[in-house]
Amino acid sequence: MGKKDAEFCADNSFTGNRGIKSGLKVLIFFGATILLLALSMLLGPSGIGIPDMQSSSGSAIFSLRFSRLLMGMMTGAALSASGVVFQALLRNPLAEPYVLGVSGGAGLGATLSILAGSGLFVSLGLPVVAFLSAVLTLMVVYGIASQGSSGHPSVYSLILSGVIVSSICSSVIMFLVSTASVEGMHNVIWWMLGSLQPVSSAQQVLSAALILGGLGSIWLLSPRLNALALGREMAHYQGLHADLVLVAGLLFATLLAATAVSLSGMIGFVGLIVPHVMRAVFGPDNRKLVPLAALGGGTFLVVCDALARTLLAPIEIPVGVVTALAGGPFFLIILQRRMKQAWIA
Amino acid sequence: MENNALTFSNVSAGYKHRKVLDQVSFTIRAGEFVSLIGPNGCGKSTLLKTAAALLKPLSGVVELFGHDVHLLKPAHRASLLGVVPQKIDSPMAFTVSQIVMNGRISSMGRWGSMSSRDHDLVERSMIYTDVMGLRERFFTELSGGEQQRVALAMVLAQDPEMIMLDESISHLDINHRQEVLKILMNLNREKRMTILLVSHDLTLSASISDRFLLMNSGRLIKVGTPAEVLEPELLSSVYDCDLRVQQDPYSGYLHVSGAIDSLNRQKKLNRNVHVIAGGGSGIELYRRLLIEGYEVTTGVLNRLDSDAEAARALNIEVVLEQPFSPVGADAIAKALQMINSSDSVILSSVPFGSGNLVNLDLAREALKRGKTVLLADGIVDRDYTGGKAAIQIVSNLMRDGALCWHSISELMLQLQQHSHN
Repeated sequence: MGKKDAEFCADNSFTGNRGIKSGLKVLIFFGATILLLALSMLLGPSGIGIPDMQSSSGSAIFSLRFSRLLMGMMTGAALSASGVVFQALLRNPLAEPYVLGVSGGAGLGATLSILAGSGLFVSLGLPVVAFLSAVLTLMVVYGIASQGSSGHPSVYSLILSGVIVSSICSSVIMFLVSTASVEGMHNVIWWMLGSLQPVSSAQQVLSAALILGGLGSIWLLSPRLNALALGREMAHYQGLHADLVLVAGLLFATLLAATAVSLSGMIGFVGLIVPHVMRAVFGPDNRKLVPLAALGGGTFLVVCDALARTLLAPIEIPVGVVTALAGGPFFLIILQRRMKQAWIA
Repeated sequence: MENNALTFSNVSAGYKHRKVLDQVSFTIRAGEFVSLIGPNGCGKSTLLKTAAALLKPLSGVVELFGHDVHLLKPAHRASLLGVVPQKIDSPMAFTVSQIVMNGRISSMGRWGSMSSRDHDLVERSMIYTDVMGLRERFFTELSGGEQQRVALAMVLAQDPEMIMLDESISHLDINHRQEVLKILMNLNREKRMTILLVSHDLTLSASISDRFLLMNSGRLIKVGTPAEVLEPELLSSVYDCDLRVQQDPYSGYLHVSGAIDSLNRQKKLNRNVHVIAGGGSGIELYRRLLIEGYEVTTGVLNRLDSDAEAARALNIEVVLEQPFSPVGADAIAKALQMINSSDSVILSSVPFGSGNLVNLDLAREALKRGKTVLLADGIVDRDYTGGKAAIQIVSNLMRDGALCWHSISELMLQLQQHSHN
């Protein structure tokens, strides 16, 4: 190597981690996150502001708000990070956490459990059933997609069988709901709308462990997800166990989504839109995107929940309604401006 | 140092219900530049996929620098062999430098961190392929040629011993194709990189390759130097059409081209047609008439006329006259001779002025001698004689039985009808 070459290579400014600008963006994002989370602690049906911590009701309100914040962070982070992975692996802008039938499967399991339990469902029972049926659905979807493709399901067959299994599940749910009692119907629909009512602490701990584990695994996979964005063949040529990464990614992302569903029911929108917005702002590099989207999704859901319980207090709006109504227009504006940096299809 | 880069030993490979490669054996030595040629669907891409361990052979062994490619760890394989696909597409807006960094994916740290060697390789391959200036641009926004250079940079960043290109340059325009080829040749000559190029451009491949592998329906038909493989008979049977191989007298390069005129000779019609043209109006006529199998003569043409050039190039017998001078008696006599031995006379949509009005007299003469005369329509717009002389002659010709044609395909039909009569 000549002298000139050596000088050139001593400085990696071209491909190195450049960017005061991107660093500043991340910093602003962190600041806004903390601010929004703090703000959401001040909102609730009992009034705006810090509750009186001396009184027992005040501290109960505070701890309730805090556990809803935790619920929101966990659910939002899981859904959003899962969305990032699905979009990267399936190379499809419409991919979202429920694309492989998690929602259909979990919904069907939950519906069966609610209707069978007819009101007396145990707090740990429903989420566990929802989780197990989501995982079962994933296995069915993967099994169908693998048929006739020598064990390597194509992205299209995965999406297709996910959509089909999902719609079969929702048909069965509709049938069950239409034949159910009024009370059963009400419970099922409320569960499907999603809510961040705190679940039992045992389940919270279990879910937190699953979600942290899932997020960590996905973060570890994230550099490989970048390579898979150019397709499975290219990733193989570049020295990846491409199929292994694909299967592991799908598995972890589905587990995250299933855990979120079992915690909070079916909250839509977060897993589709937050990844898009974060990608538009911070670029498509999954190494950065996975943690930022997790944080962004959690914060977004927490803020939406704070609004949901405050706006029409004492009536609580389903949080899924708020995510769509509040987030939709805002995200459309961002996407329209910055779609080019997020996704060119 | 292992001397053989890639070895196929009796490899059969393919998909579930379809065997594509049939008992293929060959060796590519380290440092060679080899082109893989063959008609579409003959198994070239399958061969590359098998070489890169994307497809497991049904039988036989693929060895990459002495290792069984299916037993190699993926990262090790990527350090030996890089593959530039026909086209890469990125659905998300990665920048060029992010795309190129993918080439280092197999050596990145657990959290995707890159060592300074990784950065060096990325930078060097970007300089080598001249994409440094594009590094902040979005990959998806680039032109096809730029994307292909970025893809090459990404593969070079793997720092492989050998690269395979799957028709990666076929769809580039001539400028970018030369550019990419120059990079490949430099890599081959300077860094002794082994290159396997799948190509449809036989002429181009012949000029840069050490050896050719010729495939047809899953089998390796011939392996050898370009001159050994580019045999007209062999190629013609493999590609199922007539091909001609010529050596360029200046560079010594081999040129492979489709041989249209040999096609004519096969279905010769034994019908003679004389064309009266000028100013470029005859070129397309000549071409079509030759393809259809007619014997063509033409004239009188000005020596500098573009139709005269075309006639010479197509080996058409032509009567010429000096530029800027009236058509002499010699030329007229010669033209009349041609008309005599022809069955039909065709007038192209040439403009008439006083200088070439004599050509219309030739047509009148042809009509008198009982030849079929076919006139291009629209003489009104092409009469520059000043006194409507050409229009007058043409309407006389039509009255005496000359036919009128509007398009070349219509003309071909008219000619066919008259040759049956």
